[in-house]
Amino acid sequence: MSFKSVVGKIYRNFLVRRILRAFGVIFVTSTLTFFIIRLMPSNPIEIFINQMMAAYGMSYQDAKALALALFTIDLDKPLHQQYIEYLINLFQGNLGRSISISPGTPVMDIILAFLPWTLFSVSISILASFVLGVITGIIAAYRRGGLFDKVMSTFAAIISAIPGYLIGILIIVFIGVQYGLINYMRGAYSAGIRPGFNLQFISDVFLHLAAPFATYVLSTFGGWMLSMKASTISTLGEDYVTVAKAKGLPESRIRTQYVGRNAILPLFTSLAIQLGFIFGGSVLIENIFVYRGVGRLLWSSINARDYTVMQAVFLIITISVVVSNLLADLIYGLIDPRVRVGE
Amino acid sequence: MAVKTAVKEKEKERRAIITVRNLSVEYRTHRGIVKAVRNVSFDVYEGEILFLVGESGSGKSTLGFALMNLVPSPGYIKEGEIIYHLDGQDIELRKLPLEEQRLFRWKQVAMVFQSALNALNPVLRIWDQLYDTIQAHDPNITREEAYKKIKYLLSMVRLDADRVLKSYPHELSGGMRQRVMIAMALLLDPKILILDEPTTALDILTQKNIIELLKKIKDELGLTMIFITHDLSLAAELADRVAVMYAGKILELSDVYTIFYNPKHPYTYALIKTIPKLTSIDEELYPIPGSPPDMINLPPGCKFHPRCPYAKEICTEKEPEFEQAGPNHYVACHRWRELKFER
Repeated sequence: MSFKSVVGKIYRNFLVRRILRAFGVIFVTSTLTFFIIRLMPSNPIEIFINQMMAAYGMSYQDAKALALALFTIDLDKPLHQQYIEYLINLFQGNLGRSISISPGTPVMDIILAFLPWTLFSVSISILASFVLGVITGIIAAYRRGGLFDKVMSTFAAIISAIPGYLIGILIIVFIGVQYGLINYMRGAYSAGIRPGFNLQFISDVFLHLAAPFATYVLSTFGGWMLSMKASTISTLGEDYVTVAKAKGLPESRIRTQYVGRNAILPLFTSLAIQLGFIFGGSVLIENIFVYRGVGRLLWSSINARDYTVMQAVFLIITISVVVSNLLADLIYGLIDPRVRVGE
Repeated sequence: MAVKTAVKEKEKERRAIITVRNLSVEYRTHRGIVKAVRNVSFDVYEGEILFLVGESGSGKSTLGFALMNLVPSPGYIKEGEIIYHLDGQDIELRKLPLEEQRLFRWKQVAMVFQSALNALNPVLRIWDQLYDTIQAHDPNITREEAYKKIKYLLSMVRLDADRVLKSYPHELSGGMRQRVMIAMALLLDPKILILDEPTTALDILTQKNIIELLKKIKDELGLTMIFITHDLSLAAELADRVAVMYAGKILELSDVYTIFYNPKHPYTYALIKTIPKLTSIDEELYPIPGSPPDMINLPPGCKFHPRCPYAKEICTEKEPEFEQAGPNHYVACHRWRELKFER
């Protein structure tokens, strides 16, 4: 067996091929982001200098001296040299240090401080929205033309046409301000509370989750419901559902094993793609509720042109999207025997 | 002469197993109401093979579904009676409580569908789809008992149980899937089997095999079969009696011999002439001119008159009665007494 045939054999394996491709996508994307973010106007030092001059009335020289003392990065190095250094660090698992939003702190530490909040809030919201959408979708399909279907389908169509951030603002105005709950719509937990594993902290966290959760769910639930309804209706017309009725199967088994299982298949792909974005958070919604998630971190790092933090956040988003697509392919094979991948 | 007495002898034993009286089935659509089955009455005799023959859209499949009270939405049975005479009881399926209807189906009347790929649930293994059928009617049955029964039936339809049971529907060929469907239909030893175009989606050799199989089943089990098809030559091979349907009505009903050698209805005659003969090489085929009527706006009078070469004025005005034209021979035509068709 020659070397070439061994390589060919490995490459023909579905999983190996997909993983190799995934690495390729991650490499290309991180290279592109490296250059694109440096093409943005201004740079971290200028922005810091401008901030210092505006906030403390420093002279340009003083501000620049301060900046150079604080920041370790040398932006005058040739771009290709910076890129090679970035790649070498990346392969060592080193994401570098923050330039300006928290000068000198390792980027990994910053990410680890923000990521859990995003994972927590977005994953709960996506799953709740999915489950809720699927269940109402099935009910609406079974009672199509009825009152429940008409009310919920109209509601779903309207609500999914409104952008999430508008729903967030409406929640702040009409619930937060009107009922004096605005304090629970700011941040991930109240300012005075010490984080810890106790009832007070946990209930506080969930109270602060309520508003962003409602926003996420309201803005995405309609889409799930409408696609589940359409998918269920088309499944109900399939011959095998008629056969199941003719076979005298109990209604519960028809609903789950014959209608439900087949109707939900097309939704799984979109769910998996959505799950990839859990890590990216939602920039707009996290900003509205000042929720300390990755989306908000991305926003502030872009404003400060903190290249290293931006790179890291984009890298995380890329990896999670690529990985979840990969998982989607593999899991889809498990739930739909027709696309099970042979050797 | 001996044959004739035998036929007579057989007629004496004839006992209706299903009585259909004044049955009408409609579909509500956006364009209007489709009258798929219009005021149809007939009997099905115990142990016979009754063929329902007609062009697509003639209402024959709808009639089949109506017999199981499973007319697909948005269809419904408008009026009429379907009475089963089983075990000395007269059962009107539509009047039974839903749970009893469920238990009645498949136990008494089973069905084989046109396309076996769509008739099997793509995400369940064949074993699950056979086992759930048994379990739905006999929740206490053990897996071993069910396996024995399933294996027996699969060997009857000449399938290798151990290979087939583990498979998903898409892993089997069209002919194998249809055999699985037939085995599934026989699983609960039903008294009546409805076959809705069971060979239409199959290639010609597989068709032949399935027909042989059905003949064998008829001989061994002595079921009552209602065979729905557009293929009159199949009727010549298998049928005891034939009902010719057109635009939701039965136009002619008689034993297969009479239908082929002494048809009284111009439509039946026209249908017979469309069958190519093996014995003559250069004989022309005679397609029926025109196309089946629009089921929402049916023509007045006899529904076949726009395509009928023998139509007279009365045919355009009055719909003919379903009259007796001989022993066990019924026809719905104003001119059946005058018309003579040459063979």
